[in-house]
Amino acid sequence: MTRFSNKRYNVHVLLIMAVYVLLVFFEWPHVKAVTDPVLKIVLALVPALPVVGVIVLMGARVLRSDELQQRLHLIALGAATGLVAALSVVFSFLCAAHVLNLAAEDVLFWIFPALCLVYGLSHMALTRRYGGRGC
Amino acid sequence: MENRVRELREKHGWSQGELGERLDVSRQTINAIETGKYDPSLPLAFKIARLFGSRIETIFDPGK
Repeated sequence: MTRFSNKRYNVHVLLIMAVYVLLVFFEWPHVKAVTDPVLKIVLALVPALPVVGVIVLMGARVLRSDELQQRLHLIALGAATGLVAALSVVFSFLCAAHVLNLAAEDVLFWIFPALCLVYGLSHMALTRRYGGRGC
Repeated sequence: MENRVRELREKHGWSQGELGERLDVSRQTINAIETGKYDPSLPLAFKIARLFGSRIETIFDPGK
Protein backbone atom coordinates (compact mmCIF):
# COMPACT_ATOMS: atom_id res chain seq x y z
CA MET A 1 0.00 0.00 0.00
CA THR A 2 1.38 3.43 -0.87
CA ARG A 3 1.74 5.86 2.00
CA PHE A 4 -0.45 8.96 2.32
CA SER A 5 1.57 12.16 1.99
CA ASN A 6 0.70 14.80 4.59
CA LYS A 7 -0.25 17.22 1.80
CA ARG A 8 -2.59 14.74 0.09
CA TYR A 9 -4.21 13.80 3.39
CA ASN A 10 -4.67 17.45 4.42
CA VAL A 11 -6.24 18.34 1.04
CA HIS A 12 -8.70 15.44 1.31
CA VAL A 13 -9.65 16.36 4.90
CA LEU A 14 -10.04 20.05 4.04
CA LEU A 15 -12.32 19.27 1.08
CA ILE A 16 -14.50 16.93 3.13
CA MET A 17 -14.70 19.37 6.03
CA ALA A 18 -15.66 22.18 3.62
CA VAL A 19 -18.62 20.02 2.52
CA TYR A 20 -19.45 19.44 6.20
CA VAL A 21 -19.43 23.17 6.97
CA LEU A 22 -21.70 23.87 3.98
CA LEU A 23 -24.14 21.18 5.14
CA VAL A 24 -24.18 22.48 8.72
CA PHE A 25 -24.85 26.06 7.58
CA PHE A 26 -27.24 25.45 4.68
CA GLU A 27 -28.90 22.04 5.17
CA TRP A 28 -29.03 21.47 8.93
CA PRO A 29 -31.16 24.56 9.82
CA HIS A 30 -34.01 23.20 7.64
CA VAL A 31 -34.14 19.72 9.22
CA LYS A 32 -36.36 20.72 12.16
CA ALA A 33 -39.00 22.09 9.77
CA VAL A 34 -39.32 18.81 7.85
CA THR A 35 -42.41 16.82 8.88
CA ASP A 36 -41.92 13.58 6.95
CA PRO A 37 -40.18 11.21 9.46
CA VAL A 38 -38.12 9.29 6.86
CA LEU A 39 -36.92 12.47 5.13
CA LYS A 40 -36.15 13.96 8.55
CA ILE A 41 -33.93 10.99 9.46
CA VAL A 42 -32.14 11.14 6.10
CA LEU A 43 -31.55 14.90 6.29
CA ALA A 44 -30.45 14.66 9.93
CA LEU A 45 -27.85 12.03 9.04
CA VAL A 46 -26.45 13.78 5.94
CA PRO A 47 -23.96 15.98 7.91
CA ALA A 48 -22.64 12.83 9.61
CA LEU A 49 -21.46 11.43 6.25
CA PRO A 50 -18.46 13.79 5.82
CA VAL A 51 -17.42 13.09 9.42
CA VAL A 52 -17.54 9.34 8.74
CA GLY A 53 -15.51 10.05 5.58
CA VAL A 54 -12.81 11.78 7.65
CA ILE A 55 -12.73 8.84 10.09
CA VAL A 56 -12.25 6.45 7.14
CA LEU A 57 -9.43 8.68 5.82
CA MET A 58 -7.79 8.72 9.25
CA GLY A 59 -7.94 4.91 9.34
CA ALA A 60 -6.49 4.64 5.83
CA ARG A 61 -3.70 7.02 6.78
CA VAL A 62 -2.74 4.93 9.82
CA LEU A 63 -2.89 1.66 7.84
CA ARG A 64 -0.71 3.08 5.06
CA SER A 65 1.91 4.62 7.34
CA ASP A 66 5.22 2.98 8.28
CA GLU A 67 5.90 1.19 11.56
CA LEU A 68 7.07 4.21 13.59
CA GLN A 69 4.23 6.39 12.32
CA GLN A 70 1.70 3.64 13.15
CA ARG A 71 3.13 3.45 16.65
CA LEU A 72 2.80 7.23 17.10
CA HIS A 73 -0.77 7.24 15.75
CA LEU A 74 -1.78 4.40 18.07
CA ILE A 75 -0.19 5.99 21.17
CA ALA A 76 -1.90 9.31 20.33
CA LEU A 77 -5.22 7.53 19.74
CA GLY A 78 -4.83 5.65 23.03
CA ALA A 79 -4.13 8.92 24.89
CA ALA A 80 -7.16 10.57 23.26
CA THR A 81 -9.46 7.64 24.00
CA GLY A 82 -8.29 7.43 27.61
CA LEU A 83 -8.64 11.15 28.31
CA VAL A 84 -12.03 11.52 26.60
CA ALA A 85 -13.33 8.37 28.34
CA ALA A 86 -12.18 9.71 31.72
CA LEU A 87 -13.76 13.12 31.02
CA SER A 88 -17.03 11.50 29.89
CA VAL A 89 -17.23 9.53 33.16
CA VAL A 90 -16.51 12.69 35.20
CA PHE A 91 -19.15 14.71 33.31
CA SER A 92 -21.65 11.84 33.52
CA PHE A 93 -21.38 11.72 37.32
CA LEU A 94 -21.56 15.51 37.60
CA CYS A 95 -24.71 15.52 35.42
CA ALA A 96 -26.25 12.58 37.31
CA ALA A 97 -25.68 14.46 40.58
CA HIS A 98 -27.30 17.57 38.99
CA VAL A 99 -24.11 19.57 39.60
CA LEU A 100 -24.03 20.24 35.84
CA ASN A 101 -27.12 20.62 33.72
CA LEU A 102 -26.02 19.61 30.22
CA ALA A 103 -28.22 18.27 27.43
CA ALA A 104 -27.12 14.83 26.21
CA GLU A 105 -27.08 16.02 22.58
CA ASP A 106 -24.64 18.83 23.42
CA VAL A 107 -22.28 16.41 25.19
CA LEU A 108 -22.46 13.82 22.38
CA PHE A 109 -21.65 16.44 19.76
CA TRP A 110 -18.39 17.30 21.56
CA ILE A 111 -17.02 13.75 21.90
CA PHE A 112 -15.60 13.49 18.37
CA PRO A 113 -14.06 17.01 18.29
CA ALA A 114 -12.53 16.35 21.75
CA LEU A 115 -11.08 13.04 20.52
CA CYS A 116 -9.63 14.76 17.45
CA LEU A 117 -8.17 17.60 19.50
CA VAL A 118 -6.39 15.36 22.04
CA TYR A 119 -5.33 12.94 19.27
CA GLY A 120 -3.87 15.81 17.22
CA LEU A 121 -2.02 17.39 20.14
CA SER A 122 -0.66 14.03 21.36
CA HIS A 123 0.47 13.10 17.86
CA MET A 124 2.18 16.47 17.43
CA ALA A 125 4.05 16.08 20.74
CA LEU A 126 5.08 12.50 19.92
CA THR A 127 6.25 13.44 16.42
CA ARG A 128 8.45 16.19 17.86
CA ARG A 129 9.84 13.75 20.42
CA TYR A 130 10.88 11.35 17.65
CA GLY A 131 12.57 14.06 15.62
CA GLY A 132 9.76 15.08 13.27
CA ARG A 133 8.28 18.49 12.57
CA GLY A 134 5.31 17.95 14.84
CA CYS A 135 2.48 17.81 12.34
CA MET B 1 20.59 0.32 20.70
CA GLU B 2 23.48 1.81 18.74
CA ASN B 3 23.64 1.57 14.97
CA ARG B 4 25.72 2.58 11.93
CA VAL B 5 22.81 3.60 9.72
CA ARG B 6 23.89 7.26 9.45
CA GLU B 7 27.48 6.28 8.66
CA LEU B 8 26.40 3.82 5.94
CA ARG B 9 23.85 6.23 4.49
CA GLU B 10 26.42 9.03 4.23
CA LYS B 11 28.90 6.57 2.69
CA HIS B 12 26.36 5.94 -0.08
CA GLY B 13 25.71 9.67 -0.46
CA TRP B 14 21.99 9.36 0.28
CA SER B 15 19.83 11.84 2.16
CA GLN B 16 17.49 10.62 4.90
CA GLY B 17 14.59 11.09 2.49
CA GLU B 18 16.31 9.01 -0.22
CA LEU B 19 17.06 6.19 2.21
CA GLY B 20 13.45 6.38 3.43
CA GLU B 21 12.19 5.99 -0.14
CA ARG B 22 14.42 2.96 -0.73
CA LEU B 23 13.12 1.35 2.47
CA ASP B 24 9.50 2.57 2.02
CA VAL B 25 9.51 4.43 5.34
CA SER B 26 9.32 8.14 6.16
CA ARG B 27 12.30 10.48 6.58
CA GLN B 28 11.21 10.90 10.19
CA THR B 29 11.59 7.15 10.79
CA ILE B 30 15.13 7.19 9.35
CA ASN B 31 15.99 10.17 11.56
CA ALA B 32 14.57 8.45 14.65
CA ILE B 33 16.57 5.27 13.90
CA GLU B 34 19.81 7.19 13.29
CA THR B 35 19.48 9.19 16.50
CA GLY B 36 18.68 6.04 18.51
CA LYS B 37 15.20 7.27 19.44
CA TYR B 38 13.54 4.33 17.72
CA ASP B 39 14.66 0.74 17.31
CA PRO B 40 13.37 -0.70 14.01
CA SER B 41 11.39 -3.93 13.83
CA LEU B 42 13.26 -7.08 12.80
CA PRO B 43 11.87 -7.01 9.20
CA LEU B 44 12.95 -3.36 8.78
CA ALA B 45 16.37 -4.06 10.32
CA PHE B 46 16.87 -6.93 7.83
CA LYS B 47 15.73 -4.67 4.99
CA ILE B 48 18.33 -2.08 6.05
CA ALA B 49 21.04 -4.73 6.28
CA ARG B 50 20.14 -6.13 2.85
CA LEU B 51 20.16 -2.64 1.30
CA PHE B 52 23.66 -1.93 2.62
CA GLY B 53 24.85 -5.47 1.81
CA SER B 54 25.87 -6.08 5.43
CA ARG B 55 25.00 -8.49 8.19
CA ILE B 56 22.43 -7.18 10.65
CA GLU B 57 24.80 -7.47 13.64
CA THR B 58 27.41 -5.31 11.91
CA ILE B 59 24.88 -2.47 11.67
CA PHE B 60 22.93 -2.78 14.93
CA ASP B 61 24.60 -3.22 18.30
CA PRO B 62 22.25 -3.95 21.19
CA GLY B 63 25.04 -3.04 23.66
CA LYS B 64 25.39 -4.66 27.08
